[in-house]
Amino acid sequence: MAEPVTASLATMYQERLLDEYRAPKNRRVMIDATAHAERKNPVCGDAITVMVRVADGRVADVSFTGHGCSIAMASASLLTQVVGQTPVADAKRMASAVEGMLSGAHPATSVALADALEPLRGVIPFPARHGCVLMPWLALREALG
Amino acid sequence: MTTLAALAPRSDFPLLATNPAMHYLDSAATSQKPAAVLDALRGFYETANANPHRGAYALSAAATDAYHDARATVARFLGVADADCVIFTRGTTESMNLVASSWGRTNVHAGDEIVVTALEHHANFVPWQQLAKATGAAFRIVELTPHQAIDLDALRAAVNSRTKVVAITAVSNAVGAITPIAEVVRIVRAQSSAVIVMDGAQAVPHLPVSFDTMDVDFFAFSGHKMLGPMGIGGLIGKRALLEAMPPFQFGGDMIEWVHDTDSTWNVLPHKFEAGTPNAADAVGLAAAVRYLESLDMVQVRAHELALLELADARLRAMPGVTVYGPPPAERSGVVSFSVEGVHPHDLATIFDQHGVCIRAGHHCAQPLMRRLGVSATARASFYVYSDASDVEALCGALEAAQTMFAVAE
Repeated sequence: MAEPVTASLATMYQERLLDEYRAPKNRRVMIDATAHAERKNPVCGDAITVMVRVADGRVADVSFTGHGCSIAMASASLLTQVVGQTPVADAKRMASAVEGMLSGAHPATSVALADALEPLRGVIPFPARHGCVLMPWLALREALG
Repeated sequence: MTTLAALAPRSDFPLLATNPAMHYLDSAATSQKPAAVLDALRGFYETANANPHRGAYALSAAATDAYHDARATVARFLGVADADCVIFTRGTTESMNLVASSWGRTNVHAGDEIVVTALEHHANFVPWQQLAKATGAAFRIVELTPHQAIDLDALRAAVNSRTKVVAITAVSNAVGAITPIAEVVRIVRAQSSAVIVMDGAQAVPHLPVSFDTMDVDFFAFSGHKMLGPMGIGGLIGKRALLEAMPPFQFGGDMIEWVHDTDSTWNVLPHKFEAGTPNAADAVGLAAAVRYLESLDMVQVRAHELALLELADARLRAMPGVTVYGPPPAERSGVVSFSVEGVHPHDLATIFDQHGVCIRAGHHCAQPLMRRLGVSATARASFYVYSDASDVEALCGALEAAQTMFAVAE
């Protein structure tokens, strides 16, 4: 079970998120995408497009384009690292887990996340940024149908 | 260098007094409230609460007097001799919708023109845009100077004999640019018979304003931006226009006689104040006015200008920081800026961790943001309780943000 997120842990996770933001993975246009979806935030003008190539019920490839704040970009970068090469159902479950962790419906510590997504827990103490984390995941959901 | 102290002591403001580490730099969004305003609100409900105008007993008379005294206080503060031309509304947004609906729908037709500026807050942009769409009038946007002030030459080019409305802000909420009102009025009066509708939301709290000397036709303001409660503001209009235009909302208080098939309207101001008045918040607003009068609006402006000059100089000296808007002398106490490599959303979060409250976003001015080529900026705004320590905290948090987001060597 993950540790409760204290202020100092939150700071550490923010550093890890900053690393993702500085050098995001899979930020590229996917020419052979089978589906894509865009999410925009009118308040700050951020826009993220998630592209997927689905084959045989699996997410064979996933990438993103767009611009946004450090949290949105980091979340998108991490998304592409965990969702690629997984069954579509698993990808959708991961999106639900991220949403559940932030929604506050259950204690955040009870929601299991893929190891690579653990840094996103650092955003829990910052409700104003939850939407930023969710943007690429909501786009993924829409792309996967 | 002497340290700039606050004009109004933090101890007068309960929220600031209980949060000594907070640097509240978002007064352009809403202002903090002095105890005098909170006491007035409570005092109304505890000693004078009844429905104004409707009762025949002493308490109702007290409520009626409190409500009308509040109007008289506001009218005096804003230089309106004819106090019944001060209509209490929920705020600037409702005031603008009132004018667009009541005056606009009656007087604007296909082929007419409506002029706004690219600086306008959505409250003084969208109602006119939608009125133009609904009536078939042309919608023209006056563009800006390189420092985001209203381009007067562009205004001259935009206004003509077909212009029915010129909707213009007195002070930009996004970049603080102060409109040269006398010059604008001269241009519009010389070139058209348009009504001038002015957004005073960011002017009234920060500058001396005298409606009767301005020769604008309609002027809107919001109480919560000037130390007053939320949910109260006003529309000032020239009597002839207000008397000629139809009511905005219908119901109690705004009627004189209600027959089965038709009704007649009450006199000003009641004609535009349907339903039970928000007497309590009007009383709160009057207390805010008295507090501002005790500070003297000339001093308020001088205080903010000093803080603005300090902040402007400090920010412009920081590498990677772009400050928008005209020079401080032509601006109210609003600083809109962007930081290279740091998204405004990230700035706001880091600032928050340093106890600095700023606004990051489009500031209800998406047309302006587009013209700046950004989707959002960071905005710090000063008011009577701000001091030099707030400027220090702003710059310190900014440096921390730049350090955190510095590209690794």
